[in-house]
Amino acid sequence: MKFRFLSFDELAEIVESEPIDAESFALKREAFISGKTEAGIEAELDRRIAVTRKALIRGLGEPQRSRSGLTDGAAVKLAAFPSPLVRDGLFARALRYSLAINEVNACGGKVVSFPTAGSSGIVPGSIWAWWDSRASRASRTPSADPDASDVPAALDPPYDPLLRGAFLNASLAGILIAQGATLAGSEGGCQAECGAAGAMAAAALGYLQGLPLRGRFDAAALSLKNSLGLVCDPVAGLVEVPCVKRNAFVAANALVAVELAMAGIRSAVPFDEVVSAMKSIGDSLPSSLRESAEGGLAMTPTGLACKRRLEES
Amino acid sequence: MPKDNVSVFDILGPVMIGPSSSHTAGVARIAFLARRMFGAKPDRAIVRFYGSFSTTWKGHGSDKAAIAGLLGISPEDEALSRGAALLAEADARGEGFPIQLVGEAGLHPSWHPNTVVFELESAGRTLRIRAASVGGGSIRIEEIDGYRVNLSGELDALLVHHHDEIGVIAIVSHILAANRINIAATSSHRKEKGDEAMLVVETDGAIPPSVLEQIQSLPPVYAVVRVPALGI
Repeated sequence: MKFRFLSFDELAEIVESEPIDAESFALKREAFISGKTEAGIEAELDRRIAVTRKALIRGLGEPQRSRSGLTDGAAVKLAAFPSPLVRDGLFARALRYSLAINEVNACGGKVVSFPTAGSSGIVPGSIWAWWDSRASRASRTPSADPDASDVPAALDPPYDPLLRGAFLNASLAGILIAQGATLAGSEGGCQAECGAAGAMAAAALGYLQGLPLRGRFDAAALSLKNSLGLVCDPVAGLVEVPCVKRNAFVAANALVAVELAMAGIRSAVPFDEVVSAMKSIGDSLPSSLRESAEGGLAMTPTGLACKRRLEES
Repeated sequence: MPKDNVSVFDILGPVMIGPSSSHTAGVARIAFLARRMFGAKPDRAIVRFYGSFSTTWKGHGSDKAAIAGLLGISPEDEALSRGAALLAEADARGEGFPIQLVGEAGLHPSWHPNTVVFELESAGRTLRIRAASVGGGSIRIEEIDGYRVNLSGELDALLVHHHDEIGVIAIVSHILAANRINIAATSSHRKEKGDEAMLVVETDGAIPPSVLEQIQSLPPVYAVVRVPALGI
């Protein structure tokens, strides 16, 4: 089997001509690259997925407060609120789950950089929200989101192949963006971190919803298009503002993208071309908007005051 | 050249302690590798933060990551975030050593914007490593004891410091082949022709001590340093 691909078109050609599931292909490719067995790859995959579940539980179990004070228990606050506008259970879950995991990161907790630390809540937050929503549907819980303030239950490996498949599909989207553009905010701005994570989450949710491979990457293209141009302008140079809350916003982006793709709405520009556009936009961003904390929100009076306060403390 | 070999675990990983993959996880991994290369407990260590590190190392916990790594604590261990307290505990057990952390103003134009230098020292022995945190927790060791290298920490590597003469690379390759160790990459670096040189060999799989001894015993070889893969 051929494992080398540089674009989504090449990836789709390989898996369709074999034919093989994208997630099985990703496993075999990983075994090929690393020289390990597929069982070994699955065990390592489970170990990393388990870290995201633990981070989720920590982030909703107690308000996460960072040393800077910029992160202050938003996920717990959101969970305690009755959700008057966002009434759908899965949607509301995805918002607070993504926030929760990224707040844990901001507070020096254990996470998986997926694809980066600053965007680490979006993909696992979306996947676990889908997973837990499915679980509560199966138990016929009556109201839309009855257990908002409940902390998600512990869930240890080995994991269901469907759950692994979601993480693998997200990883394939990440691989394509890493190979075709970048995943570093210092190179491409936030579109390369949270924007990429949104595309990855869309690929994962598309897979969980049963979309075929091309549909999943249509959803990924739709989500990524809506994040193009996002700059990286962190207040005081910390991975907190606007990063933490943006994790919730971009999870919403991914959900909308999958909903559109499921309705048969195609991305007018295909995934590979959106990735190229992301790269060229990143290349033309000034360095002040690429993680240097020398522009945008970082240079607002509030941002500068925050920086001074932290330098004095 | 577009990259074509990015792996799932490059994207889904590393497992790390927040808040920053480049400023916390990357530094933790470099420090951990530096200590593994040095081996025994050093008498003292100096950590120099350059470029973007020089201004944000405290806010991102780069200092805690450096301390934990130098104490041999895994980059995945949540204890990492305790930083200076870890050092105090290590001191109490007799495993501590002075660690000086310095934010450096200048950045050499050819250096990566996220550069850190580790200097480890004990009686009669020093190790100086310059490395970059290149994004997402990935690292690149760029200089070891004055030699320019290019190591990611993903593979086991062997640094062979030797007198620059004909045939050293061939003999080392032969020893590795005879022990069925596959070479993934090699590079050779020298300070001056006919003087000292450094051979860097990256291998698939660990290099057993007996093989290290064989290479060490070659007449032109001054010293052999093993750089174990991070394995995480």
